[in-house]
Amino acid sequence: MTWAAFNWLAPLAIICWLAAAVCAVRRAGRLADLFTVSGLLLAAIFIGGLWLGLGRPPLRTMGETRLWYSFFLSAAGFLAYKHWQYPWLLIFSSLLAAVFTGVNLLKPEIHSAALMPALQSYYFVPHVTAYILSYSILAVATIAAVVQLKKLERGRPDLKLYAFMDNVVYIGLGFLMLGLITGAAWAKEAWGHYWSWDPKETWAFITAAAYLLYVHLRLRGASPRLALWVLPAAFILLMITWLGVSYLPTAPGSVHVYS
Amino acid sequence: MSEVKPMWRWPWRYRESLLFTAALIAGGFAAQLAFGPFDFYLLRHPVNYILGIVLTALILLSLLAGDNPIVRWLSGAYLVAALLAGLLLFTLIMGLTPQLPGVAPDGDIFIRLGFTRMTTSWPFVLLYFMTLVSLGLAAARRLRSPGKKLVFILNHGGLWLVLAAAGLGAADREQYIMHVREGEVEWRVYTDDQQVLELPLAIRLDDFDLEEYEPKLAVIDRHSGLPQPEGNPALFQLADYLTAGLTEWRFGDWDISVEKYIAQAAPSGNGAYSELPMPGASPAARVLARHRDSKVIQAGWVSGGSQLLPVSPLALDDDLILVMTKPEAKRFVSRIKVFTRNGREEETALEVNQPLKVENWQIYQYGYDNKAGRMSTYSSFELVSDPWLPLVQAGLILWALGSLGLIYQGKGKQKP
Repeated sequence: MTWAAFNWLAPLAIICWLAAAVCAVRRAGRLADLFTVSGLLLAAIFIGGLWLGLGRPPLRTMGETRLWYSFFLSAAGFLAYKHWQYPWLLIFSSLLAAVFTGVNLLKPEIHSAALMPALQSYYFVPHVTAYILSYSILAVATIAAVVQLKKLERGRPDLKLYAFMDNVVYIGLGFLMLGLITGAAWAKEAWGHYWSWDPKETWAFITAAAYLLYVHLRLRGASPRLALWVLPAAFILLMITWLGVSYLPTAPGSVHVYS
Repeated sequence: MSEVKPMWRWPWRYRESLLFTAALIAGGFAAQLAFGPFDFYLLRHPVNYILGIVLTALILLSLLAGDNPIVRWLSGAYLVAALLAGLLLFTLIMGLTPQLPGVAPDGDIFIRLGFTRMTTSWPFVLLYFMTLVSLGLAAARRLRSPGKKLVFILNHGGLWLVLAAAGLGAADREQYIMHVREGEVEWRVYTDDQQVLELPLAIRLDDFDLEEYEPKLAVIDRHSGLPQPEGNPALFQLADYLTAGLTEWRFGDWDISVEKYIAQAAPSGNGAYSELPMPGASPAARVLARHRDSKVIQAGWVSGGSQLLPVSPLALDDDLILVMTKPEAKRFVSRIKVFTRNGREEETALEVNQPLKVENWQIYQYGYDNKAGRMSTYSSFELVSDPWLPLVQAGLILWALGSLGLIYQGKGKQKP
């Protein structure tokens, strides 16, 4: 399979996810499940097909990582929704998955099929998957934080939601740190040093520090509003790490800027 | 509402922690302005050994202090939150300011405060050190009940080991680039200040080989030189021609078909190319382009050229030119033999991502003459000696196990 198949598979997946979101709003649980699973299946078929077609894991270009992001975001949102029964989880995760798939339709950023020598490593798949998984899970936490901030404004914070958010952040942070650790091990093998404060590394540190700040603020009764605001702020830093580093004044000379 | 605790009375909480961190940063700035950047070479062994032992001993001794409020505060979440806020501030500045590691921090106040060399600035180093103290104490306190606090100990202890070994070991780390010509033996490198240094090991380069990906066809604008359509250029992968038998490419109003492709070719007169396997050869393709409306046909050989051979484009019309891109490197391998002063010899085929370890040196395939490509007559190697690496690796493994524990149990039983 090549990117050509994306032009008809992607709109189908987007329709499924949008339908799932609408069903979740209307509280039509069964239909929402069905549409979410269909969207996930379509995404999985394309990712699997592209993997076979390229002869390498599609994890290198921005466009390729966005494919996984849509898939994992929808999967993480769906699992959390099934466990915690918050319909808004499914609504937002489905909408975001549809948006990222749409971005790929409009701005593919697929570039060449070639993999430069430094990227040819068995660390490649675990490193990028751990990060994409964590980005998806932390997106769910961000949505939860915004919902809770709204509830807090009305003076009715949801205690169950705090427990949910904390759990999601711990799990997301676990994957974030695994991504960082596999990255360090890989950097040692490819570039001779496990940590060089390359701009992408600096921003990965910033992102991890922001989520650690949330975790530690939640341990001792810090202002709930402050702790909650850390999550959307941390997510912006995460997005800069993932998508924005190439555009920063510090980017020239970064070994993480590929195609 | 509970009564408000007077400032500075134990136990210390957020206000005291934030003020302490602010004072630490202010002290750091003062030291930076007074002494200049922090000189990591002061930590060279044996200083770092002594510091490491003293730090570890003090952390373990804290276990004897029982429930001391100072130890409790130093290892607690209040101080950690303040330190993390401080680290966030400084790494954010670092993430937005181009770092100039080799340049002396002279100039405006922004530069003199160390913002362009953040990792050697005093406030950053002090924050790093306090984080180290706090992490170590936090992990040590949980050693009293290791079973229940396993994930906590793995995460904090592992990260502590990584930060401690990386920080203290930085001064003992040596890293050089060595260029070796084919058939020659080299043991000298240049240091940062351009001094020649003789290493206790030598490398002989027996052969250098470069494999390249198949190039691509692109259409560029004659006037701007930019690939078209601008911003999102269309490319024809010659790899697809070879593997999938794809020959047709539609570019705008042009139907372009590839009739023949030769991976190692050279011109054989009259603009034609024929196969010639040698280091200076370049890929070439015979293409035929037909305009759909005007039926104009342009045919000929397209080649990206090499250091020896000229570029061969094909003009489609007054604006558009069909070109072949330069091939990208797929794999480069150096067949080397390493000799050490102790008489050890080792032969290997060195490539990226597969370093060689000889005694306490790691040897990496680093680069080659990019302009010459496959004709490169030298290969360069990165040589690294990092005596503290095993401790960092041990820390990374513990920390990774801790991360898995975090994923497995969430916040669930994760009470401090």
